[in-house]
Parts: sequence; structure tokens; C-alpha cells
Amino acid sequence: MIEQHGSEREALRTVGAPIRRYGGAARVSGQQDFLADLPFPDAAAVALVTLPVACATVTGIDGKRAMEMPGVIAVVSAADLPQPVPRFGISHQDRPVLADGEVLFHGEPVAAVVAETLDQAEAGAREVEVAFEERPGVYNVDQALATGAPLVRDPSRRPEDDENRDSNVLETALYEWGDTTAAAGEAAVIVENTYTFPMVTHFPIEPGGTVAVPTDAGGLDIYSPVQHPYLLQRTIATVTGLPLSQVRVFAPDPGGGFGGKQTPRLEPLLAFLALQTGRPCRLVLSLEQTFQMMRRAACRVKARTGFADDGALIFHELHCDFLIGAYADVAPRVMTKGSYVGAGPYRIPHARTASRAVMSNTTPSTAFRGFGAPQVAWATESQLDAGARALGLDGLQIRRRNLVNVGEAFFRGPYEATADGHWHEALEKAAELIGWGQPLAPGRGRGIAVAIKPGATSGLSQSLVRFLADGSAIAYAGTSDMGQGARTLWQQILADELGSPLDKIRVVSGDTGVVPFDLQTSASRSTVFMGNAVLEACRDIRKRVLALFAESTGVDEAMLSEAPGVLITPDGELSLLEASRIALGALGGEFVGQGTARMRGRKGHPLGGDAAFYEFNCTAIEVEVDVETGELLLHRHVSVSDVGTELNPIQVTSQDEGASIMGLGHSQMEQLLLDDHGVIRNLGALDYRIPTFKDVPVELITHGIENHDGPGPYGSKGISEGALLCTAGALGSAVSDAIGIPIRDLPLTPERVWTALHPDAADHPGGEEPA
Amino acid sequence: MRYYRPATTAQAVAALASQPHTSRILVGGTDLLVAVRHRSAQPTLVVDIKGVRDLTAPISVDEQGITFGPTATMGDVIAHPTVREWFPALVEAAGLVGSVAIRNRASLIANSANGSPAADTSPPLVSFNASVTITSVSGERTSLLREFFLAPRRTLCEPGEMVTSLRVPRPSPGSSSAFERMTRRRGVDLATCSVGAVVDADGAMTVGLGALGPTTLLGGPVAPIDLTSQEQLERAVDALLAPATPIGDIRAGKAYRTAMARVLARRAVLRAAARRTDPDRLTGRSS
Amino acid sequence: MIPTEDQSADEVGADLVVVTCSVNGESARVSVPPHRTLMDALRNELGLTGTKTCCAEGECGACTVIVDGATVNSCLMLAAEAEGCDILTVEGLGAGEPGGLCDLQESFLEAGAVQCGFCIPGQVMAAEYLLRTNPDPSVDEIREGMSGNLCRCAGYQRIVAAVELTARKRATR
Repeated sequence: MIEQHGSEREALRTVGAPIRRYGGAARVSGQQDFLADLPFPDAAAVALVTLPVACATVTGIDGKRAMEMPGVIAVVSAADLPQPVPRFGISHQDRPVLADGEVLFHGEPVAAVVAETLDQAEAGAREVEVAFEERPGVYNVDQALATGAPLVRDPSRRPEDDENRDSNVLETALYEWGDTTAAAGEAAVIVENTYTFPMVTHFPIEPGGTVAVPTDAGGLDIYSPVQHPYLLQRTIATVTGLPLSQVRVFAPDPGGGFGGKQTPRLEPLLAFLALQTGRPCRLVLSLEQTFQMMRRAACRVKARTGFADDGALIFHELHCDFLIGAYADVAPRVMTKGSYVGAGPYRIPHARTASRAVMSNTTPSTAFRGFGAPQVAWATESQLDAGARALGLDGLQIRRRNLVNVGEAFFRGPYEATADGHWHEALEKAAELIGWGQPLAPGRGRGIAVAIKPGATSGLSQSLVRFLADGSAIAYAGTSDMGQGARTLWQQILADELGSPLDKIRVVSGDTGVVPFDLQTSASRSTVFMGNAVLEACRDIRKRVLALFAESTGVDEAMLSEAPGVLITPDGELSLLEASRIALGALGGEFVGQGTARMRGRKGHPLGGDAAFYEFNCTAIEVEVDVETGELLLHRHVSVSDVGTELNPIQVTSQDEGASIMGLGHSQMEQLLLDDHGVIRNLGALDYRIPTFKDVPVELITHGIENHDGPGPYGSKGISEGALLCTAGALGSAVSDAIGIPIRDLPLTPERVWTALHPDAADHPGGEEPA
Repeated sequence: MRYYRPATTAQAVAALASQPHTSRILVGGTDLLVAVRHRSAQPTLVVDIKGVRDLTAPISVDEQGITFGPTATMGDVIAHPTVREWFPALVEAAGLVGSVAIRNRASLIANSANGSPAADTSPPLVSFNASVTITSVSGERTSLLREFFLAPRRTLCEPGEMVTSLRVPRPSPGSSSAFERMTRRRGVDLATCSVGAVVDADGAMTVGLGALGPTTLLGGPVAPIDLTSQEQLERAVDALLAPATPIGDIRAGKAYRTAMARVLARRAVLRAAARRTDPDRLTGRSS
Repeated sequence: MIPTEDQSADEVGADLVVVTCSVNGESARVSVPPHRTLMDALRNELGLTGTKTCCAEGECGACTVIVDGATVNSCLMLAAEAEGCDILTVEGLGAGEPGGLCDLQESFLEAGAVQCGFCIPGQVMAAEYLLRTNPDPSVDEIREGMSGNLCRCAGYQRIVAAVELTARKRATR
């Protein structure tokens, strides 16, 4: 486990202060180079060929006409790739570099056209003739699980001992303790309901893209705004057969990631195009294409929950079906991890969560802020409210009754998990900030909800720090800075630990050629993992300064000690810079420190290891419902997270506000709608709606509970996902409080709320009626 | 695609006539360039009329009404004091079209004359009895806006023609108007449905209906009622919505759209009626 | 070619339009295909990549620039339409200011309004226009004035704070 550093925080100068974002000036002045801004004067442009259906057998691809078009350099389909067509993926190597004889989701590319200009590539792509036969596909949970449903994956492609190979179920998870069946008899009240959570897409404002550049040495430089440059490097090396040393990944800062830029998708294709044409190949995605590259798994949860008459949970049963899409990506992990905390942060004697990752002919789903937890929390939190209503309790009372105390298990069994924070403090703070129990104006309702998410369960982050002769410093840290502000934290840590001025500190990331290994930027891990690695590197430097100072001056090492920014000598304190100058002497030079944060998994653990920390959040919302139209006006939205220590308060606030509003997106308005052919009907910004300035609640209040009890530097925890874990639960609870009717399907669009108020008006809500 | 920036109306219509089926007029571009991007429009010739010297002025007021030229933007409409005084429903509608940046460019005439049944400005314009002038190499003709719309995105404006002005007669003394719209989110959005209502001094009511049929529709006129009577109001709304034929689509189901038409019509009528005596200017729905 | 005396459309051959305009106070001249948007011309022809591309259909505001004093989604304006126009992009906003940032840009940093930063150039341009047309906006007016600019990091509260901060700074200037 990771070393604790809580005790030294008093000595800090910049940590805990709202330091300005590292790289902020470049971002406000338009100087920040995102992928699409990088100049590649010799690059050829790439356009993709796709089909107007989601599920089809491809019987022929004819690129002859396209090849005759002006400027076209190459038309590449699966037949032009190594055979069998290379496939890649995290847990399942199932995704082909290009569609190989079949298309399994809307937007899956069947061919790529490389041309001198983008106009020419796009014109060429329109001339590629693809012969295909549409096949029946499965586009929702019911279709995918129906008897005799068309199979997304042919059984021949699955292991023979896979008991689910003749179905669309890719993987399952079962977490169980106690005996829910037997316990049913003890319950005073049992509530049983089904909840749904829609497919939503990340909608990063930077759509992203990839540039693959063949090097003179026969290798590849890959430019892609990815969260995991080292995973991309390994994937490219694997599919092309190149050694890692010949694949260098440059990862310009992602313009928003949210989990959507973690895994490779089109980069392997671009790598092959570059190798085949010998040209740098550039593909900048449209926003529409990102919709076809990333989304959150939809989920249907059947829940059955029993309570004692004082509100205590007796048992909780969940059946979760995650609609994961056409390829595995990291979706099986989303299913297992989201389900692990599905029962919530509660004291439950008997629990059973049975989940399935169900394949469908839709965009492969991937990591998305919250990683499966929001989907199940929607059901569990709504069930707590259903129990409260049945027992005459309110939402706060029932959560007070059941929320675990610090150190108490919410997940039981041999791999039990316990509360690693004082979560009741967050619950009470949120209740106070929302004005729980105060009289409500007519037409309004209040709701409160809680949820948790496991942080990373294993990890490796390495960092190098160079302390230069003039007291300036450079940190090499592979975390992708996609808006969370990771580099600002490294800068703060260096400033405090080495005594270097903030403006003399540089952070280098996004280049596998020079920056040491970092497993990934995900699961809100970086503050804890990379933060500890950077901290260790700084302390390594101080030890080296001390040792060399002793050697250079002849002062006994035992007489020296070091502290943040200083070397303490028998003659008094020296700044680290002074001490290092004396230590380095006439030759000059610099000090290089190294730090590693490694967390090994735990054998047999259902998640592969214990979570390094848990994100806990309590959200409370006061809403006004226009009962004539179903429109919601959020008067107050409160989000309280257990944050350990706020290393940079303004960044914590930004993350919490941002996650809160993103949570309102899937709670209120976002959903991908498909037609009968599996084609995304709201493909693009015009009809896929995300929150705008005007959708922000009248008052949005975030608060962090600081007990300095996290495993990260100075007692910090990861914080970037908490505030959207239970947004839906809080809003659903508030709406049902206002209108007296619970709604169990997201998003809570005006139409859905109105329909709940008018159950007699039988109709398909908008978008659910085929065009 | 060719780009052409004529200096006179004659040049513009001649250019349109040269490629009548594949030429398109460009003013704000907020509609056309989206269509070009999606290849739902593939013009061979784009005629940018913003440099045409003899074009109808953006906004000119006379005793009998207001004439809008093709280059009047939503921003111009919203800012114009006489438009604000005479046509509050139009100002409310124009203020809901897109974002500020869109409204800085989008042309009132183009918004309406494109013939989208969901266009925000069409319901008030229809309820105000607006008419358009259509120009081609063979001359000019005028049409009432409500007769101008034929089908979704199909109008009386034939290939080779362009709408060169929009005339809105001055409302009768003592009347007022209001615009109501339903959307899926509070921020910038396309209308699920919309209603622009005009209530005359004597209480007679007319509505323009958006996204409630294949074209913008005119409802009413309906004779004056006692607005405090729920029953009379509901009957009047029935009559005003008689032409509506709501359907289900990606933005709403049929039942919801039908119900919202009633809510919006009721709200628009009441707000327009109240505004006759208490000109609350442009205090629209807080959205 | 269509019957016209206008030579500009044909100046450098049938497929290109020559556009002369002012960009950030400097005269600029580009030859572009007629379908080229102002957004693409700024980014590709003039190398002003501070103007960003997201939805490319006027819904997100990432490409917002100020043309002849008013904000425009540069994805919905042809480069050809910019003939004779005065264009201000994010690169021009802080030019000549100490540190290269104007008071508004400084306020964005001060208020913590910048997360991933991709939408920020567009936000800054929209905010600049808002403050020029309404020097003392209310929160509601800021939300309305900025609602064409999406931020998926959802830094909306911080951006509102940055606009308010700038308004205060300018009022006391």
C-alpha cells in the first residue's frame, strides 16, 4: 500500500492554495496545441468508409473508382491488412483494425481512403463501393437477451468452455453475502422495481483524432490525445509487430476525456495506413465520429430490497444488465466494478448482485466518469427512497439509518470492503446545505442520495524529477492532463518539496519517448498514484542533496537533515538551492530524483485488488416541476464529497461542479436514440443535447469534506468522479417528492415527467417511436 | 460549388436563373452551411446577397407596418424599438433562435422562408398576417406567408426565385402578442412545438403554430371569450388548435406534443391578452 | 461562370476565391475553395489554430470569433464571405497586453474557469462580445449570452465568475 504523508502538511506553502492552472495561459490565449492544431505539412488525409446500417455482412469492397479520384493515394480495406486481420483490446482482443467481413455497429469503418487533401479523401471515400447485406441486429437489452436473438459474436469466435458462448452475454459477475432469499421473511417491507439508464456519449469538445508518422528507422510515431499513452504504445507494437522501442506515442493534452480517450480504437488503423503508404497519415474526427467511438453502457437493473420497519436494510438484490456494444473494450470491467459497489455504501446483512455484460450492435461502450457506478446507484438510491416512502421515512432518515460508519464493511465476505472515510459527515453536510426539513414551496421537491466508486485497484506510476542548478525544476510525469489539472498539482508538490518558485517548474508529459512509465490516467488515480511518485522523487532529491552535501563539505551525514525546501545543517538551515550549489561544487550539474508508486493487486479479489480509496459523494437537489409541461427547474443542487485533502481547492471545486452538471446531463436530457437499423438518430450536437449554461441549477453548491485521511500526498484522495455518481438518484428523488410519482427510467426529460403525470396518455416518448 | 457575390438584385436573380435547381441564396449561412456540411444541400452555386446594393433595407417602418429585407438578422429584429413595441411575439421568437452568435448572423427572412415547420419566427409572422415578396428574372409576386408554406421545407419560392422582402402589417390598436415554445433543455434548442398568439383589442384571437403540422399553421381567428373562464378558454384553445396535426418524432412523442400545444396556446393567449393592458414588454417565459 | 462583372470570384482560377480581410489588426489574403469555412481558413490557411473545431454546425461555439464587432460561429461562415471584414480571433485578444493576456483572459485563469481548455477560446470570444454589448451583465444575462458555448468539463459556474470579475475590473478601470 501507499505510504501516508499526512503529518507534514503543515509545512506546505502552495499545496492547499488555489494555484492557477498549469498551462492555463496557453489555453486562454489559443496557444495550446491540441491534436488537430499540430502541423504535419507532409501528412496525407484519411477518410473512413462506413455503412448506413449497424449490422451487416460485407460481401465486397471495390476501391477502383476511388483510386482513380484526384489525389487518392490508397484505398485500404481488411483484405489489405495482414491476415488474419489483427484484433486488439484490453481483456478481449476482439476489435479488428478494420471491419473484417462484417460490420457490427453503426460507424464501424469498412475501409479507409488516404489522399493528399481531406477534400480528396472524403470525395474518394464516397466512391468506394461496398456491397453488403444487412443482418438483423440487437440494439437494446431486451432484444439482445431474447430467446433466439441474433448473436453479435459468432460462437466460433468464443472459447469452447465459455458457458455463455451461445448468447449475447460476454461476461457475468456475482457478488453475494448472507442469504437474500431466506432474509425476505425478516423484512417488514419489500420493494421491487426495474430501472433503466440510457446510452450516453462522452461528447468531448475536442473530438480528437490520430496522426501516424513513419520514422526513418522503420518505426512509428503516433500522435493521439489519449489518456493512456503507454497502453497505446503497447497496442501499436503488438498489432504491427514493432518493438516498443520503435513505437513512440505523443499524447497532446486531451480536450476533455472523461474516460472516452482511454483505449485505442482507430490508432491501429492509422498505424497500418502509415506503414503501407510510407506517409504521415492524419485523421481528425468529427464530433459525430466520436459518438460512434465512445459511449457509456446503458443499463437495466431489476432490484428487490427488503427493509425492517425502522428502515434498516435487511436484504438487497440486484440484477444488472449492462448493454456494452459490439466489442468488449473495457466494458466487462465497467460491469464488474460498477456492480461491486452496486449495493451502495450501506450496512446490508444479505446482498446479491448478479450482473451481465450484454453485447449489442451498438457503439462499443467504454470507461466514462463513474465507471458503471452511476448506472447501478440510480437503482439502489431509488430503492432506498421506495423503502422510505413505504415506511413513512424520508430520504435522509433512511440513509442515516443504513450508511456505514468509518471502518465498517459495505461489501462483505473474504474480500470485504470498508468505509475509508467519515461518510456520515458528507451526508449531514449536504442535508444542511440543501436545507433538509425546511418547508418547501408548492410544486417543489427535495431529494438526497449517496454513492461510492472504487478508485484504482492496482497501479504503477513512475516519475523523474530534475532539480536544476538554478533552483528550477522539471517533473516528468506521464499523467495525461485532460482538464483535471494534474500538472498543477505536480508543480505545487515540487514547489513545496524543493522550494522552487512555481514559475520555475516545468512538467513534461505526453511522450513515451522521454517520460517514464505510467499505467494510465483513469479512475481518479493520478493524484494518489502519480502524486505519490512525484512526491517520492522530490524527497529522493533531498536525500541526494544531503548525501552529496555531506561528501562535498565533510560534514557528517548524521548531523544533517532535510525538510521541504531546506537542508538543515549544524550551522543552520540552508535553502535546498543553496545546499545543492554547495554540494555540486564547481562541476555544477543537477540532481535527479526518482519516485515510484506501485500498488499490486490481490489474488482472488473480484476486482483484482482492493481499491486504493473510495470516492464518496452525497448529492441533494431541490427541484420545481412544471406539472403542465414536465419541465424541471433546479433551484439548488448540493454536492458534498469526501476528498481527504484539497491540494488545490479551485480545481476540486471545478471537478465537483463539472461532474455535477455532467450528471445532470444523463439525468435530465442525454440519450442516444437508435432507429430500427441501429443507426444513431441523434448523431451530432443538433439533437444530442448536453447541459448548457442555462441548464445549470439556479444555485450549485459543492463542498469537500477534509479529514486528511486519503492515501495520496498530504492525505488526499482522488475526487474527479464522485459528484456525478448519484446525481440521478438525487434528482429522481426530488422529482418524485414534488409530483408524488417515482420515475424509474432516465433521462427525466420534460416529456418523461409529463408522461408520469399522465399515465393514461399512452404513447411512445419522443425518440422511442421509430421514425 | 461556386461562390458569387452580386452587387444588384438583377445580378442575383440572373445567377439563380442560370442554375435554378442547384443554386442557393446565402445570407446568414446558419442553415445553409449546416445543410452543406451534411450534404443535404449540394449547391453548385451559392449566391451571397449581402453585398446587393438595391436590396430591401433590413428594417423599414411606416405607418402601416414594417418591411424586413433579407439581411435583417435576429439581432436586428430583437433590438429594433418599433418591432419590440408592435410585435413582442416576434421579438420573443427571434430571441430564442439559436445562440447570440447565431442570432448575429441568422436572417429573419431565411429562418421563415426556408419552410421548416419548426422555425421559431414563422408562427408569430403567420399570426401577424405577414406576406413575402418573391423575385425572379420574370419579376415579382407576393404571397401571404401562411399560403407560402406548402410542405416541410417546400414553399412557393420556386427554383430561380428568392424572397426579397417580408411585410408585416401594423397590428390593430390595442392588440398584443406573445410567443411560447417547448424545448428539451433550457439552453439553445430546437422547438418541440411553439405557438405565437395575437389577441386583438376586442379579444379576438389568432395563433401561429410551429412544429404542429407539416408547415407553420394558422389557427383562428376565434371570437372573444371571457378569459377568466377555464371552460371558455379550453374551448377557444380547441378551436385555435383545430388545424394542428402533431406527430411523434425524435424531439417528442405525439401525445406529449399534442398536450404541449394546448399548454403553449393557453399560455400564449393569456400572456398576449394581459400584455394589451400591461405592456410588460418582453418578459417571456423564464427559460 | 454566372453572368457577372464581379471579377473577384474568378481571380485565381475557377476553383479558388481570393479573400482579403483584416485579421487581428493585420491585413490577410488567402485563396480558398468557395466551400471553405472561415473556421477552416483561419486554422489551416492562416495557422490561427486558437479557433477550435467541435460540432462544425453552430451548436457548440468552439469556433466563435468576432467579425465586424459581432460574434460569429466561424464554422457557419464561408471564408469568401469575410471579404473586407475585420476579424478578431482569440490570438488577437491579448496581443499587446502585458503577458499576452487581456483582463478577460486573466480573469478566466483567476476564477479557475479553464479545465481542458478546448472550448475556452470560444468562451473567451463570446464573453468579450457579451461584455462589449453589456458591460454589467447579471448572472442570468451571462448564462443567456454564453449559452451557445458548450463546455463539457462544465466549468460554467467558473466562467460566469470570470465574466463577473472582468466586468468589475472594467468598471473600476
